[in-house]
Amino acid sequence: MEILQFTSPRAHLHMNPASSVPELDLSSCDREQIRTPGSIQPHGFLLTLSGDMEVLQASANLGDWAGVSAQAAIGRPLAEVIGEGTARRLAPELGAKLGPRPYYVGTVTTANHRHFDVLGHRWDELTILEFEPTERGAAADFRQLYSLLGDFLQKVNGAESIESLAQLACHHVRAVTGFGRVLVYQFDRDGHGHVVAEAKQDDYASYLGQHFPASDIPAQARQLYALSPIRLIQDANYTPAPLVPALNPVTGKPNDLSFAVLRSVSPVHLQYMRNMNTLASMSVSLMVKGKLWGIISCHNEGPSPVPFEQRTACEQLGQLLALCIESREDAHELQFRLEVRRIMVSMLAGLTQGSNFIDNLSSVFPELLRFARASGVAVVVDERVLSFGDTPEEDDILGLVDWLALQHHGDIYHTDHLSAAWPGGEKMTRNASGLLAMPISRIHKHYLLWFRPEFVHTIEWAGNPHDKLVQASAAGLPMQLSPRTSFAAWRETIHGTSVPWHGGEIELALEFRTALLGIALERAEQMAELAEELTRSNKELEAFSYSVSHDLRAPLRHIVGFADLLIESSGNDDGERRMRFLKNIKDAARMAGKLVDDLLSFSQMGRASLRPADVDMGDLVAACIDKLSLETKGRRIEWDIAPLPVVHVDPTFLHLAMYNLLSNAVKFTGKQDPAIIRVSAEDRPDETVIHVADNGAGFNMDYVHKLFGVFQRLHRMEDFQGTGIGLANVRRIVERHNGRVWAESVQGEGATFSFALPKHESN
Amino acid sequence: MLKPILLVEDNPNDLELTLIALSKSQLANQVIVVRDGAEALDYLHRRGEYSQRSPGNPAVVLLDLKLPKVDGLEVLKEIRTTDGLKPLPVVMLTSSKEEQDLVRSYELGVNAYVVKPVDFTEFVRAIADLGIFWAVLNEPPPGSQKYVRPTK
Repeated sequence: MEILQFTSPRAHLHMNPASSVPELDLSSCDREQIRTPGSIQPHGFLLTLSGDMEVLQASANLGDWAGVSAQAAIGRPLAEVIGEGTARRLAPELGAKLGPRPYYVGTVTTANHRHFDVLGHRWDELTILEFEPTERGAAADFRQLYSLLGDFLQKVNGAESIESLAQLACHHVRAVTGFGRVLVYQFDRDGHGHVVAEAKQDDYASYLGQHFPASDIPAQARQLYALSPIRLIQDANYTPAPLVPALNPVTGKPNDLSFAVLRSVSPVHLQYMRNMNTLASMSVSLMVKGKLWGIISCHNEGPSPVPFEQRTACEQLGQLLALCIESREDAHELQFRLEVRRIMVSMLAGLTQGSNFIDNLSSVFPELLRFARASGVAVVVDERVLSFGDTPEEDDILGLVDWLALQHHGDIYHTDHLSAAWPGGEKMTRNASGLLAMPISRIHKHYLLWFRPEFVHTIEWAGNPHDKLVQASAAGLPMQLSPRTSFAAWRETIHGTSVPWHGGEIELALEFRTALLGIALERAEQMAELAEELTRSNKELEAFSYSVSHDLRAPLRHIVGFADLLIESSGNDDGERRMRFLKNIKDAARMAGKLVDDLLSFSQMGRASLRPADVDMGDLVAACIDKLSLETKGRRIEWDIAPLPVVHVDPTFLHLAMYNLLSNAVKFTGKQDPAIIRVSAEDRPDETVIHVADNGAGFNMDYVHKLFGVFQRLHRMEDFQGTGIGLANVRRIVERHNGRVWAESVQGEGATFSFALPKHESN
Repeated sequence: MLKPILLVEDNPNDLELTLIALSKSQLANQVIVVRDGAEALDYLHRRGEYSQRSPGNPAVVLLDLKLPKVDGLEVLKEIRTTDGLKPLPVVMLTSSKEEQDLVRSYELGVNAYVVKPVDFTEFVRAIADLGIFWAVLNEPPPGSQKYVRPTK
């Protein structure tokens, strides 16, 4: 139906060796040289000129129009062919002004008193002049054009949709040209066309809503349409006028007539037009964002000239329509993306909530569906499938993921026809004809999958597009490429495909993936931290069990040993000895109890979670001292408590740490009178430091590295009682607040224990 | 003069029990008691508190594994890497048979590794056997008393 620009009807035969049945390859039209037909349509004439206005070539019909034969014109100055005065008038326009696209040079009258509109362009190293006959002797009048465009612009604002905009353009183009039928034809991504708007005379068949296969307008023609805005075939029954001589004298090759308005078209296409009962046709390119969006296509049953100024008007209308389409599409696109983005942002917010990434994903399943306008979604992690909505069976999903993993699709894979890409997709066409698959791990077979159901729909083709080959081969050998003859509506039901994925959906899915990986990465870091934490707890646990086997066994052995000795010594009278054994048994039993208590408290500390609050260290220290009163009874202790800050910590834990430090100080000053214990604070830029200093026994700095270890003792048991857990607890508590502990001492003069709590932990 | 036995033990109860066990085994060797690893090394190196002691190594070191400041394994390591102390027999005494301790001790060249039995009678026997083997049989010094195990 369109203005096919095939060149010659050379049949492209490919012999099939197996069957020897020739196959006609219509896609070979894509390779036809439509730009170099070697002739023009005869409703005007064409001259090619050298730089100094000498005629190099003329169309063979020159004599019909200008009264000078083509042969006679070759090698002559332009003035001698079209008249001195006319040539002089044109001369100033043919200089630097001429560009690669036809430009209206003026309206001239030739020596034989005929009027012509003259279009000139420089291309293929020639000046190409095209002369189209006109009734008027004066320059073209564009006033009509202004009112037409003004009217169109006014009405554009009221048009709701792209379809109604296109409809408006059809009416205007028909009003300008008087063609019987004008329609707007939109290309899909595969090059198939779809008629979105139409204006026609009542007795013309309607093509509105119909689809035309891509082969109707080969890719090469579409490329040319993108370059040149308008084409006209005035009469499909024309006899082409060849160029004389046939080759461009400058290049020695056939002339490139890509932009010549009179360029001749393929006889195949002319046949196509006649099949369509169309003798005149015109098409205007609709370029949206630099791409051929569609065309305004005009047909007339009879021949129909379209003068230059009318074509200009249509061209302008086409540009305006394209601009309007672009802005509408932009607006739609923007709106669409905004909505998808909004859903994505709300999903991401949900995803960062919990700690389990997969559970998080499943918690936003409804949003995931809306995000991709899908009807089913599934998260596949290893062999685990979590699905929501209408999805294939779990085994089928796993099969699909196996296939996907082998394909290396990169960041994202999408199809609206899964069964065409993967045979396994055939059994899931009902709910998974469309697939958007997103790998969410670079290493593992983890996928997020969106499914779209089959969208069974009917395409109304203008003629059965699959018929071309049949007709051609039926014609037998030698085969002539013949365009289809039937344009009767032919319905095709499309199975196995879904509604296609929108470009915005795919782009945002990519963005979503990046965000997901970001979250996963953050999660991984947390996991690494957790692992580190676990390693540490594990070490402590090992130390714990080690201690249980060592330290808890000892008191038990002591009890048994002294009990044996007690029994053994029951015969003799050494009462003092027996008393000591009894005391040892009692001590050992008490020790065992204390060890159990301490070990339990130590193990609990690793598990309990922190509940930080603002804690006044002054109050906390006072409470600890109060609690220590039983142990300090009868001793002289000078407490020197400096003003202490408020810190943001877990009150229970910090109380325990502080108590341990103060209790230590009390213990190791046991031989001092008076004992002096100082508590002070230090305000550093990033941390708050608390010091507990005493004038007690102190310790040897050589062993300071063992000080905070579990069950490490630096003193003899009988000198200072204890299980060796207190300082391990302090370290553990402080470290869980992301702080650090340290100690300094001069043996015999006292020790200072310090811990620092980071300030950023508080809020 | 018999070489003394060096007993390194921090826990007072264990110390008392070990001393009782040693006395029950009727070994004639003098028992030198130190209370942590650092002190044990001071004794062996004849430094600090022990700088004035007469030279000579003990017959055997009975070394508790868990000790304040410097633990038994560290003491053992130092003995095995110090010229003049290397041949010194070391018996590790410990509360439990944690495999890591056992492996480590043998790696460091311990002569015997004894898990203190809970039963006191067994403990006495273990200590006695150790003393006999390391303090007497292993290196009978000239002129020393022959040990005769008492009959029960």
